[in-house]
Amino acid sequence: MGRRRQRVDPAAGARAGALPEAIAALSRSLPSGPSPEIFRRAKFDRPEATSALWQLLFRVLSPLPVGNALASLALEAQAHLVKSALCSQGYPRLALAQLPEDGSQGSRELLLALSWLLARGPVPEQMLAQARVPLGDEMTVCQCEALASPGPPAPHMEAEGPVDVRRVQWLMGKLQFRWRQLVSSQQEQCALLSKIHLYTRGCHSDQSLGHLSVTEAEMLRDPEGGQQASGAGVAQNLDPAYPKCLHSSCTPGMGPRTFWNDLWLVCEQPGLLPGDAAPLDPGGASACSLLSPLRALLQTLERENQRLEAVLAWRHTELVFWRWMDTVLGTCAPEVPAAASQPTFLPWVPERGGGELELVVRELQALEEELREAVERRRAAWEAKAGGCGRGPEWSAARRASREAVEKELGALQQCWKQDSGPARPHGPHRLVRREDGAAGERDLRAAEVIRTLRSQEACLEAVLRRLQGQCRQELARLVGALPGLIWIPPPGR
Amino acid sequence: MLPADCSRRLVAELQGALDACAQRQLQLEQSLRVCRRLLQAWEPTGTWALKPPPGPETNEEDPLPACTPSPQDLKELEFLTQALEKAVRVRRGITKAGERDKAPSLKSRSIVTSPGTTASAPPQSRGQAGQAAGHASDTRPTKGLRQTAVPAKGHAERRLLSVGDRTRVGMGARAPRPGAGLRDQQMAPSAAPQAPEAFTLKEKGHLLRLPAAFRKAASQNSSLWAQLGSTQTSDSMDATAAKTQFLQNMQTASGVPQPRLSAAEVEAEAGRLRKACSLLRLRMREELSAAPMDWMQEYRCLLTLEGLQAMVGQCLHRLQELRAAVVVQPPRPCPVEGPPRASPSCGGGAEPAWSPQLLVYSSTQELQTLAALQLRVAMLDQQIHLEKVLLEEEVGVQQRSAALRTRG
Repeated sequence: MGRRRQRVDPAAGARAGALPEAIAALSRSLPSGPSPEIFRRAKFDRPEATSALWQLLFRVLSPLPVGNALASLALEAQAHLVKSALCSQGYPRLALAQLPEDGSQGSRELLLALSWLLARGPVPEQMLAQARVPLGDEMTVCQCEALASPGPPAPHMEAEGPVDVRRVQWLMGKLQFRWRQLVSSQQEQCALLSKIHLYTRGCHSDQSLGHLSVTEAEMLRDPEGGQQASGAGVAQNLDPAYPKCLHSSCTPGMGPRTFWNDLWLVCEQPGLLPGDAAPLDPGGASACSLLSPLRALLQTLERENQRLEAVLAWRHTELVFWRWMDTVLGTCAPEVPAAASQPTFLPWVPERGGGELELVVRELQALEEELREAVERRRAAWEAKAGGCGRGPEWSAARRASREAVEKELGALQQCWKQDSGPARPHGPHRLVRREDGAAGERDLRAAEVIRTLRSQEACLEAVLRRLQGQCRQELARLVGALPGLIWIPPPGR
Repeated sequence: MLPADCSRRLVAELQGALDACAQRQLQLEQSLRVCRRLLQAWEPTGTWALKPPPGPETNEEDPLPACTPSPQDLKELEFLTQALEKAVRVRRGITKAGERDKAPSLKSRSIVTSPGTTASAPPQSRGQAGQAAGHASDTRPTKGLRQTAVPAKGHAERRLLSVGDRTRVGMGARAPRPGAGLRDQQMAPSAAPQAPEAFTLKEKGHLLRLPAAFRKAASQNSSLWAQLGSTQTSDSMDATAAKTQFLQNMQTASGVPQPRLSAAEVEAEAGRLRKACSLLRLRMREELSAAPMDWMQEYRCLLTLEGLQAMVGQCLHRLQELRAAVVVQPPRPCPVEGPPRASPSCGGGAEPAWSPQLLVYSSTQELQTLAALQLRVAMLDQQIHLEKVLLEEEVGVQQRSAALRTRG
């Protein structure tokens, strides 16, 4: 089904053919989306549609691209995770939490859940962007990615009992050392990248880019992927996952998606093309595809193009879908907000303590104290001085003017944290491009500007860190006082 | 000794940070390997040698196989053309300075021929164009070509010419030259300086060409993403209204008029209030440190401080509300977040742009500074996080011990 521009006329929303088209576009735009037939069955709450919808919800809700290993989780496990994920996002309907996890019923509820997610955010686009294989050398400017998912619970479980502070100090020293290593490797990587960009300038068909990226150059160097690395003795198979890991290694930053990244690298491979596999040593990642990098990239690109077209078609026809979903919702009985049982959740990521709120409360209370003292002092001083002043009209006018000015200022200050979205900070990865003159289009970033921003961020963070360290020391002092018998030898400065 | 409960979480967090660093390091090293290999001499891959165009060496009369060109063949032919043109230039002793100027013009010529034409036509026209560029007589370029071809025949490293060699046999047959055999061994010593050299990115990098199929797919890809970006910003009003309506219907159908606070929202709100706290504190410091000139300024200072105090009170109130809400519905362990949580230094959930934007740099120095700063910010973020964990734990220990004391 090709992409067609649809003028969706509100009056003709029920035009025959518009709805199946919309649903077909939706299912093409989602990764391994269920067939349109599933949607239709789900409206009538048929049980056979249930498991496909559980799996789709699982893929949509998981924080990272789902590979074969994750997809092969039992249906019950997937269903369980879906429930807890929806719950944490504030999904309103209680019926979902009560669905059996074996996939025997509840397809209509699942359809409603899927639509709820689709209505809240651009889900197909987000999933496409997530699964995208970058063609260029990418660098992420913001830190959003770094904290996206902290990974699974740490497998090293410390023994019960007190831990020697020296161990903590040692760990911190080790961490600092690793950071230093990281920095020097990163610097070398940048130098090499810069050289590659310099040497291949003038090559790219896209004039705005001008030079090849490492991915592209590597593809040219070894299109069939049959070359073995020399000297290492280990078959360095250029599996198609390498652009992705190149991407994540080019992006400096924490990237703590260790576990999930591994899974992706091992599992998320394009399928084998018949008769095309070069003989490679499968001793490496066993699930690795045997495609050549060139073919793999081409295939990924083509598939992405197909999905992009599907998403565009979906955006043009989705109005019909929402009208239809309203009718689906109408067929459900309204719920009574009874106290739902709280199912126990499988922690997909380590539990974050509720301490965040407590910390902020303490900070604000401390600030309140300081302000109270300051205000009292100033107020007393002011009354003493101004008590003798006249109460003339010009005086009160001046006071009113001052009050208004202050209110306006403070209102502006309040806007600084009230508004959800900050200034238009570009998020996500950017493709590195080397240009001698450093000219950039209006939507592009210039390195010099980013450097300035980062420097101010650095200063800001350093101030925050210093303050936190001071607070920590204060608390420790209080601890020492509070717990008798505790002797604390502070580490020799950080 | 640290109290047991305090230490466990801290150590776990430290281990997590260490693992993340190690993972990062591994990826960096892998990528470094790839880059280093790219910058060394490129060895000819086995597949090159295994894939000669069918039958050129047996029958010199045959033209190049007029099959539909695969991206592979086209790339080989492009390599060939550039090698030929370069050989011509070298033969005529054009200086290196001129070479740089030639390179763009040569490339523009080779781009002119569309990849849609059959295999036989492009090499012919390109070859002739290359030869015409030399402005030489007929025989000299041919000889030069063959001379450069011959020594390369034995060198597998010279991938360009080794490939070109096989294909050129066909070409040479077609060209209406006096039939000097290919085994002509008149080698001008200066004519083949590059022959034994391997392909390095440094020297020949600007001659590379991406395969046509890839080019097509990539340009289609970027135009589709651009379309997606533009439809995103100009979303249909009807669709947005329909979606909002649907969400509201879902909410009312579930019997709960107000959407429940999700753990993500609580965290986001807490983050905003933390930001508020630091901004207010900053402002307070400014006011306290400013020396008032006159009574008007003093009055304003006082008003500002009182205003700040009121705002802090409001924030605390909001926090108490959040706390109460969190207690009523116990905070879920946040198994999965939908959109990625914004980091504290990021300042908000701006919508990601769909099509990739560029980050333009102009020198190695700049890129290195940028990367170093990036890592520094990430490291500071991590340190702050660890300090917060420590602080939380300490506070927790205090509370617990206080509770014990009051109880006991």
